[in-house]
Amino acid sequence: MEYAVETFSLTKIFSDWWGRERVRAVDELNLKVRYNEIFGLLGPNGSGKTTTIKMLLGLLYPTKGRAVVLGGDGADPKINIRIGFLPEESYLYRYLNARETLDFYGRLFRIPAKVRKMRIEALLDMVGLKAVANRPVGTFSKGMARRIGLAQALINDPDLLILDEPTTGLDPIGTRQIKDLVLELAKRGKTVLLCSHLLADVEDVCDRIAILYGGKIQIEGQVKELLQQTHKKQITTDAISDTAVEKIKQIIQQEHAQCDISSPMDKLEAFFIKTVSSAEHQALPTNGAVSTTHISSFLAPDASAEDILDKLVSASVSAQPPVEPVTTEQVVPVETPEPTRQGEGPAVVPKGDEDLLSKLTEPAPASSDASRGGGPSQPDKTKAVVKNNEEIKTKPVESQEQAQKNILDKLTKDENTAREQTAESEAGDFGDA
Amino acid sequence: MHSVWAVATNTIKQALRVKIAAVFIILLMVLLTVMGTTMTGDGTLKGRLQTFVSYGLSLTSLLLCLLTIIISIFSLTSDIDQRQIYTVLTKPIRRYQILLGKLLGVLLLDVALLVLFSALIYNITIYLPQYIKANEMQRIEANNEFFTARVDLPPAEVDATQEVLDTYKKLQTSGQLEEMFPGMSGKEIIAQLTNQKKLQMRAAEVGRDLLWEFHNVRPADPNGRLFIKFKYDVSGVGSSDLTVYGRWFIGAWQFIRYGIASETPVYDRVHSHSIRTFHEIDAPAQVVPKDGHLAVGFLNVPANNTVVIFSEDPKVLYKADTFTANFVRAVLLILLRLIFLACLGISAATFLSFPVAILLSLMIFFIASFSSFFMESFDFLGENLSSIYRYTVRPIILLMPQFDKFNPTKFLVSGQYFSWFLLAKVTFLLICIKAILLFSLGLLIFSFREIAKIII
Repeated sequence: MEYAVETFSLTKIFSDWWGRERVRAVDELNLKVRYNEIFGLLGPNGSGKTTTIKMLLGLLYPTKGRAVVLGGDGADPKINIRIGFLPEESYLYRYLNARETLDFYGRLFRIPAKVRKMRIEALLDMVGLKAVANRPVGTFSKGMARRIGLAQALINDPDLLILDEPTTGLDPIGTRQIKDLVLELAKRGKTVLLCSHLLADVEDVCDRIAILYGGKIQIEGQVKELLQQTHKKQITTDAISDTAVEKIKQIIQQEHAQCDISSPMDKLEAFFIKTVSSAEHQALPTNGAVSTTHISSFLAPDASAEDILDKLVSASVSAQPPVEPVTTEQVVPVETPEPTRQGEGPAVVPKGDEDLLSKLTEPAPASSDASRGGGPSQPDKTKAVVKNNEEIKTKPVESQEQAQKNILDKLTKDENTAREQTAESEAGDFGDA
Repeated sequence: MHSVWAVATNTIKQALRVKIAAVFIILLMVLLTVMGTTMTGDGTLKGRLQTFVSYGLSLTSLLLCLLTIIISIFSLTSDIDQRQIYTVLTKPIRRYQILLGKLLGVLLLDVALLVLFSALIYNITIYLPQYIKANEMQRIEANNEFFTARVDLPPAEVDATQEVLDTYKKLQTSGQLEEMFPGMSGKEIIAQLTNQKKLQMRAAEVGRDLLWEFHNVRPADPNGRLFIKFKYDVSGVGSSDLTVYGRWFIGAWQFIRYGIASETPVYDRVHSHSIRTFHEIDAPAQVVPKDGHLAVGFLNVPANNTVVIFSEDPKVLYKADTFTANFVRAVLLILLRLIFLACLGISAATFLSFPVAILLSLMIFFIASFSSFFMESFDFLGENLSSIYRYTVRPIILLMPQFDKFNPTKFLVSGQYFSWFLLAKVTFLLICIKAILLFSLGLLIFSFREIAKIII
């Protein structure tokens, strides 16, 4: 099977009570999402993105055509077990608390109790809601609900993740974390179908996109190819002398080309994260993590000291008792994540760059920085931010090692390890529950 | 089963945490305790017990029925309205499992609440005689007529059709028919003649006797008591405090009717009772012969000097089971209602929005609670539109459950035996046919409807 999602002239017409056609929400859609790619479905409001997703999952029935998801019917439980779905809003049971919510969904997947418990704690930690895990989700803010929604979509370690507007209601840091997570999941061989009208989200993470309008695909292709301005070139340098700039200008004029030289602007997103994280550091000695709940719990001292991505994907890092007898199967694949990345990484992500934050701020090399007024030295700036972080990072080696434990590895491995581990070592694993 | 159970527990959590159930539980708790301590009925211990059990159990039944309707509908419609169903349905669960889970959750809650409240009612009832310090006579009366489960046996039907037809023919030949029953059809005249005949058969002139035949009289305890329940009336105006003297015979049919010697004794005593209220006379159960073929005779003592009429045939009552067993069956009867209503609510919620589904279910609930009234009124209306009525309204009415026909409190208040057989019959009719039919309809609709399409 070549495609994870494939539709054949999928059409949805909403009719009124008399059967007269009212809205043609999706019109002869032929969508093809390959395995192990991040596919972005873009389009303005009402262009049929959500309707398409609902048809993929059997929540709506197509008027015409059909959809194949993971080689089968998207409403079939055998297929559902491999899908993670985050709807356009986090529709949660308001009376359940965060932990119960995840437990409920875990039980629908028939995940054994021990594995379920382990995954729930790991996911709560990942989305930064561990501190409020016993609060009814009805009291959550929109962003917090979104995080729980994301956690429930991941509880079954899905092969295909369908995210409908995943970043609505999230603050910039949460948005960044979701984007990082999507990239990390793709590296682990998952397929992600991302549906959004927030273009910045899509541009940063997607391999391929399709733009929908009026229920039809207007254009489809590789993000890089679609956006690259092949008739222009951009040179990024460190700060150089005016004479050097003049020399360059002269060379360019010899080529009969126009050139425009200025200092690059920082991306607002990177700037925002830099500001918030430094504020967090300053506030720490006095306030601790008392400041507004979810942001502080995410950027708590431990957390901000690590890479955000590591924090994002790491399993119950700080909460794990250090004396825990960690089995080798669990640790080995996690300590050396590089081979996996090189093997499976999608083209957008530069290889071998250990500095994940900077990697993620920096758009894919040779992509369209010029169009956004992005500057040559931008990657350096963001790197500098991370360097600051690295300087502050003074964690004991032991906990560093644990910090590297990766939730996704855990999610994929825990079923095996649960079988292998003895009962007591498991008890230690989620002793914080 | 795993996912059904997950949905079920979620439904219970919802009912408890959204505090729908809490309101009902608190209301019922308070009302039952207050009723137990304040209700006095007609002042006797029996009256007090009857009032409490009647009101307590009816109230429990009513409130739990309402609760069941509300929870079963709310649980599904809120999932659809608030779209949590999107995240549930996209998990590996089949749609019928969701409905089964909801049903299971509602029923588990019902069972728990029903056990709680019936235990409360039962205990208050059992301890009430001690609590109000009733005297010995009142206790005996309560034990005989309330803390019991008595079979309530009507006499064998006397076939009067031939006699009625004979009278009819005689009148017809003599040409008096038109004169006596002007403007009536043959059917109606026969019905009226039958009524007249039956009344005639229950009227005893001075010095005359009446005899009723009872089959299958089988008291649980041969050394226990046997009761005859009856109501006197007299012809003419007669003041209501009039007393009638009656000589009663109870014994083997073979002996009383035909004089064939019997081993069992014959009860023969004169009693005086006021007219127009039900009375009971009790006799030792030893008078019942082995074959259970019993005769009950009444002689209009000449001293009365008036015709004595029984507006209904007397009944023979005897203890067949304990009060506790009867109470359990009565509670099970309530549970059957709840199961039906849960199925109804969930089915309604599969295609209707919350307010509409509630309205529909309440309508059905009230029709079921007054089904005999509806049946009679529609039967009356239907006489003019018989064929249309027979094929449209009547099947629908017959599909409705009949809660009033099998009213648990009616049995308990009169200490009437409610057999397992009857319970099984109600189970079959109400659950195996009506509830399952309804639930299957809901399953069918829910399995094929588009979930994401909002129905208003």
